[in-house]
Amino acid sequence: MYGITIFALLLMVANYLISGMFMQELGKVSVDMALSAVTFSGLLLVFFVGINLISKDFDRKTIYMVLSRPISRPQYIWGKFMGMAMLIVSAMVIMSIFAAISIVMLKWTYPAYFARFSWMLVLLALALITLMLILVSALSFLFASFSSTSFIALILTILSYIIGTSIREVKALVEAPQAVGIQVSPVTLKVVKAAYYLFPNISLFDIKIQAAHGINLSASYLFWVITYGIGYIIITILLASFLFRRREFP
Amino acid sequence: MRYRRFLPSIVLALLIPVHILALSRIGEEQKKLPVSDESAPVITGPVVRLTALGNDGVASDFLFLKAIVFYGSTFERKGRPRIKPGEWKWLYNILTASTDADPYFLDPYYFAAGVLTWDSHLIREANELLEKGTRYRDWDWKMPFFLGFNYFYFFQDNGKASEYMMESSRREGSGRVISTLASRLAYEGNRTENAIYFLREILKNTDDPSIKKEYTFRINALETILSLEQAVEKYKKKYGRTPGDLNKLVERKIIPALPKDPYGGEFYLDQHGNVKTTSDLASMSNRR
Repeated sequence: MYGITIFALLLMVANYLISGMFMQELGKVSVDMALSAVTFSGLLLVFFVGINLISKDFDRKTIYMVLSRPISRPQYIWGKFMGMAMLIVSAMVIMSIFAAISIVMLKWTYPAYFARFSWMLVLLALALITLMLILVSALSFLFASFSSTSFIALILTILSYIIGTSIREVKALVEAPQAVGIQVSPVTLKVVKAAYYLFPNISLFDIKIQAAHGINLSASYLFWVITYGIGYIIITILLASFLFRRREFP
Repeated sequence: MRYRRFLPSIVLALLIPVHILALSRIGEEQKKLPVSDESAPVITGPVVRLTALGNDGVASDFLFLKAIVFYGSTFERKGRPRIKPGEWKWLYNILTASTDADPYFLDPYYFAAGVLTWDSHLIREANELLEKGTRYRDWDWKMPFFLGFNYFYFFQDNGKASEYMMESSRREGSGRVISTLASRLAYEGNRTENAIYFLREILKNTDDPSIKKEYTFRINALETILSLEQAVEKYKKKYGRTPGDLNKLVERKIIPALPKDPYGGEFYLDQHGNVKTTSDLASMSNRR
């Protein structure tokens, strides 16, 4: 928690300094910087704190002690996951406050460049980032539930995050390869399509650009993206608890 | 035995100057290494979007920052021309990549409108960028306004220019002047006068001191040309023909003396009787 606070403070100062270098759309740059910084530190939290939550129990064999208590294995997974989700939400609140302070500072220094600025959209973007982080964390639980070491779970989580953020662009690319002049085999197309349905489409949760420019989003978009996110999280955790129940310990 | 206790501190005390010396030396040596040319290829938009992992906005900001840092650094150059054609191309490419990553970002368009046109004559390229800006920033009157100006001033295409001005005047915040301009453009001629009108409008909407200075300078030059054109008209009315030479205007006492071109060139009349200048309204000291 101290680490996050210090990081957020540093980013706030950096945001103030870097945004001041631009000519016109300081509002846009500051929102960009603030949201990307919050996403980045949130991901660090998920990758390095979240994964250790379960995997450490395996690595240090403390899991035996937990499982000998009168709680079921799915309860263990759900409990840990709820704790992690709450940790993400509280960390996001802290970082959002710092991000907001940096935006307010810039707005106060250069009020002329914040014509199309809306707090509503920034808050929405932050909320969607939180949902995205919880989703990634759910994935990390899934991987931790069957992998033997925390390192494997970490690599799998990072990889699926990368796939998740770029899958939309890749799908668009292989579906219209003539636009860039490349050849795509039918097998590749099938693999990408399968990946599109299998991996979470993380780019859906990314409304940073809209928030930065004050471009309004439709209510139905928000409704469906939240439904998609929560649905994916529940499926992932159910799968994780199912796998975890089947898991045998040496 | 006692020296063992002090040995680490002594080694440390010796190593710190060595560290500083090595760092400064290697810094100097590094400067001698061949520097990668700024005309190096730019990562294209689709690749930026893929590798930014959802941080397209920040990627766009940093690409643009790279462009302006480079442009700013050229002001310290001694050689002429200040920026080579290949470097202009690089600047254009990086602005394209920046607007590919975030097509709503105003700054690259603004920079293209102000810098790519006057200094490098990459007007077609600047217009391409501005057309993209007009498409995406559909609330912003400045995009079609700049585009209209380029068509009017650089291509002398009044029809296209008035089209874009109309588009601009339809957007919020454009003010009355632009609709006036759009209608004025429908008429032929009045090129210089309209240009002054345009530039005054840009000047009103800018806070950047260097751009302000640049435009004030340009308006002064255009006003001088306008006064000369009016003098030529007077001559035509009085004598029924074009003067053929600007010095005739002074001889016949229509103007007291030939004005100086602020850009360092000389005014002359071309075969159609239009007032021209040898500087072509670009500073004589940094022309290609």
